[in-house]
Amino acid sequence: MSADVILAIVIATALAFDFTNGFHDTANVVATSISTRAMPPRLAVGFAAILNFVGAFISLEVAATVAKDVVESGAITTTVVFAGLIGAIAWNLATWWFGLPSSSSHALIGGVVGATIAAAGTSAVLGEGLLGKVMIPAVIAPMLAFVVGVVGINLAYGIAGRERPGTVSRGFRMGQVVSGGLLALAHGTNDAQKTMGVITLALIANGTLSESAGVPFWVVASAATAIALGTYMGGWRIIRTMGTRIIKMDSAQGFSAQGAGAAVILTSTHFGFPLSTTQVISGGVMGSGAGKRLSVVRWGVAGNIVVAWLLTLPAAAGGGAAVFGLTELLGGGAAAVVIVAALSAFGSVLLFLRRNRSSLLAAPAPQEATA
Amino acid sequence: MIATVVDTKELWETVVAAFVAGVGVTASFSFVILGAARFAGLRRADRPLAAGAFGALAVVALIVALAAITLGMIAMLSK
Repeated sequence: MSADVILAIVIATALAFDFTNGFHDTANVVATSISTRAMPPRLAVGFAAILNFVGAFISLEVAATVAKDVVESGAITTTVVFAGLIGAIAWNLATWWFGLPSSSSHALIGGVVGATIAAAGTSAVLGEGLLGKVMIPAVIAPMLAFVVGVVGINLAYGIAGRERPGTVSRGFRMGQVVSGGLLALAHGTNDAQKTMGVITLALIANGTLSESAGVPFWVVASAATAIALGTYMGGWRIIRTMGTRIIKMDSAQGFSAQGAGAAVILTSTHFGFPLSTTQVISGGVMGSGAGKRLSVVRWGVAGNIVVAWLLTLPAAAGGGAAVFGLTELLGGGAAAVVIVAALSAFGSVLLFLRRNRSSLLAAPAPQEATA
Repeated sequence: MIATVVDTKELWETVVAAFVAGVGVTASFSFVILGAARFAGLRRADRPLAAGAFGALAVVALIVALAAITLGMIAMLSK
């Protein structure tokens, strides 16, 4: 009974994490299509939500990596998975609060690794899998997307750049319906699978699944639904603020950036590499920008990505280990997990309220804004 | 040392496949636009033969782009 309560909390927390992932990443997935006017905002967000849902069903390689190649699934408990999730959420909230760059995917893996080390020692961490399947692909993928973006946009300008601007622009906008769709599909498949992997890991740790078992269909369907709902809900927030946040780019650059991001994420997913989709999409956008003119690229974003690479994994691991320690300190059973989950939920709500309050106080009054 | 830990073959295949797919689809689609734009211009200029050639280029390039995307999806679904 106690184990089932912990498992239920872990599943609910993992799905909430998945929802926030979709909510947060909507901007990255649809921004390019909206900024080039390839699609109206409402259609772009709805389209992205549907394709995120579909994408979650097309592969299970990343889920298998998270469930079996990062930590020794037989050596950990559901409390460890719970602590890892809370550690990741805590890091994401802290970076959101201080405006630091972060990767939800790296935070999730870092949190689970940290909690595993605290619970079962470093021997329970599969170093080969962590380095070969997570850390090295995490470094290579955004750079690869950048290179594909640079080469792609130069080819696009070289081949079609001398034609009438209106025709070229219309053509690439039409192409963006497909490239934007592929990007949403890629995002859904890579990001939703991390949640599937974590839930599967918890089911194995609980003894509900054997170590050799695959990902159950209900796990795939619930993760797909959570990320799609998050994408759809996050989209409305983006529609309201998109005027100030989206980078200016032409439709050829949009097509090239989306193509680069989708190609890198889909290929990596095929080989089971859990990536930071945000970093890959940023790499593609910067590449297609740099291909036109180096000065249009916000190189600060590249610096932020490097900071995120260096900080996220160890910091989330520290968070995961600390949460595991706290849970153990409170007795380690279902009651301890419930208390930590309640404290985390309370803390998150408090942070959101304080942040919103300070944003409202900092915002100029309507008459000041128009003056 | 890293080569013994990392499956370099998988990593290399990822790099090559992503590069070929990303650049290939962008290039193919650019040819679609080039072909379609020239087709329209040459047809207006009453040069049906040249217009037909560019129209064929647009159609072939579109087929190549769609085939590449379809093959990629089939490869993902079949693993």
